[in-house]
Amino acid sequence: MTRGIPLTNRLALPLALAALGVLPWIGLSAEPERIDPDAAVIDDRGREVYGSGRPERIISLAPHLTELLFAIGAGERIIATVEHADHPAQARSLPRIGSAVQLDLERIVALDPQLVIAWASGNPRAQMERLEALGLKVYYSEPTDFAGIARDLRRLGQITGTMHSAEAAAAAFEREIGDLRARYSGRAPITVFYQVWDPPLMTVNDRHLIGEALQLCGGTNVFGDLKALVPRPGREAVLAANPEVIVTGGPGEDRADWLEPWRAWTGLTAVQRDNLFFIPPSLIQRPTPRIAEGTGLLCDALEQARLRRPEPDR
Amino acid sequence: MSLETGPGFRSVVTLVVLAGSAAVAVLASVMLGSVRLAPAEVLAVFSGHGSDLARMLVLDLRLPRTLAAFATGGLLAVAGALMQVLLRNPLADPYVLGISGGAAVGALLAMIAGLGLGWVSGSAFAGAMLSTLIVFGLAHGTGSWTPTRLLLTGVVVAAGWGAVITFLLAVRPSPELPGMLYWLMGDLAQARGSGLPWLTLLVVVLLALPLGRSLNVLARGPMQAAVLGVSVYRLEWAVYLLAAVVTAAAVTTAGTVGFVGLIVPHMLRLVIGNDQRLLIPAAALAGGILLTLADTVARTVIAPQQLPVGVITAMLGVPLFLFLLYRSRT
Repeated sequence: MTRGIPLTNRLALPLALAALGVLPWIGLSAEPERIDPDAAVIDDRGREVYGSGRPERIISLAPHLTELLFAIGAGERIIATVEHADHPAQARSLPRIGSAVQLDLERIVALDPQLVIAWASGNPRAQMERLEALGLKVYYSEPTDFAGIARDLRRLGQITGTMHSAEAAAAAFEREIGDLRARYSGRAPITVFYQVWDPPLMTVNDRHLIGEALQLCGGTNVFGDLKALVPRPGREAVLAANPEVIVTGGPGEDRADWLEPWRAWTGLTAVQRDNLFFIPPSLIQRPTPRIAEGTGLLCDALEQARLRRPEPDR
Repeated sequence: MSLETGPGFRSVVTLVVLAGSAAVAVLASVMLGSVRLAPAEVLAVFSGHGSDLARMLVLDLRLPRTLAAFATGGLLAVAGALMQVLLRNPLADPYVLGISGGAAVGALLAMIAGLGLGWVSGSAFAGAMLSTLIVFGLAHGTGSWTPTRLLLTGVVVAAGWGAVITFLLAVRPSPELPGMLYWLMGDLAQARGSGLPWLTLLVVVLLALPLGRSLNVLARGPMQAAVLGVSVYRLEWAVYLLAAVVTAAAVTTAGTVGFVGLIVPHMLRLVIGNDQRLLIPAAALAGGILLTLADTVARTVIAPQQLPVGVITAMLGVPLFLFLLYRSRT
């Protein structure tokens, strides 16, 4: 359905950028949460949203939010979602109400949802304002780091009335991340270039979720200090930084073709040691519990790269 | 061409036909949507009945958007007609003098600063007016000003704004980026009310009507106008300011919807001639009709996916315009 419409292709990059959570504009608080079904839940825009027991009709306005809802066991109560919501498999058969950046308000209203889970930075503000004005209950979510994913799982559990399974999902996620951290964060530092997109060449800095994953694995992001969350370094800057490892998510789930152009630069340490790695983008570029799996793959890759170092540096 | 005979029977017929078509377009826009409502249900809403859902769909979603679309289309067509007379250039459109670029930079800066939507609109309007003043001030310069000079100044200032937009999008890719791209393509989903565009449209059509005779003379060239006793300088100032305010109001409402401002005045000239007294009110109606229908298609044709309306205005308008142009030659 999306195919054959050039517009969708033109929007692929901005969508991917938005999905990377470029420039979070909401403040995040870190105080511990009380679990009380009647209390207001604070959403990621700092609004108070009151739960109403167990909403049976939920609409999710972003692919990663659909994943989060399935992860806490509220997935079977989703009545509609947006294009590209492809995980888990049940999500693919859900009715669609437009794309995350261009919503079909009529269908949303006609479905009469009891709760709308929105993406604070990705959904169009004018359209969300209209939905709120029409009296729909909207909860905004914007996980931007590992702690944020766990926190949003718990908060979504509270607002959808699935606190126990949400707590289990959040705890399991925290345990997986904690295990990875315990195992890898003390390993010998290794310099990494993470490629988000090409062209233009894009990477992430240390404040980005992927940057956090790199640090957890003991990687040193060669562009970690740049100010922009998703900087666009030139190819020269990458050559000058001469990373030991190059990792990319690629344009599709099984397309590592972005790594090929690097092989021409035989002076690069990463190329000489064959340290070019591909990680399926949905495992590392979406703020969902699956990022634990993606981070595990990333840590494995960096560990392999360490073994390919000359003896004394391992 | 009833240049000197005044608005006659033919003008009245033209306006009545257009007004009738406008009513049909608005009705169609309210009847149609991505959710199917029976015509009877829609009519029930207007007679004060109807289900809650039908009332919400028609009164809260479709009607405000339809009104915004109609007013925006009317504004763009009127602005285009005025610019074409002012610059005496058939390629002139409302954006040729950089007004949309100024508005886009204003909106983008407000978005980057994380300001609310009201500020974004206000900032867009301020950007449009700033661009207007820059272009007119520079084109006026030492006192000698010609349409060519104004046009060239405007085109270069527009290119400058384009560079600023690209720069901002490149160094500060904000989460608003997809929304901004839709805005640059023209998108009525972002319209937040139609009060400003309607007020502007009514005021500008009322102001332009008494200017109609002078505009007719101006359209033949400034020398003739001066000979015939029209104060060219003041008239051109007035037309320029009117066109700028009109464009700013349109851009602030729905982003840079392309094509309507260029094509609608030309289509009307091919059909009803170049009498500005008739052309301007007719452009207000025809522009409104085109954009209303285009937006109806944009929100329904591949629903639930939504298209920016700018795509549809061109798809509907290009064949229509080419047909009229072809026919006018034979």
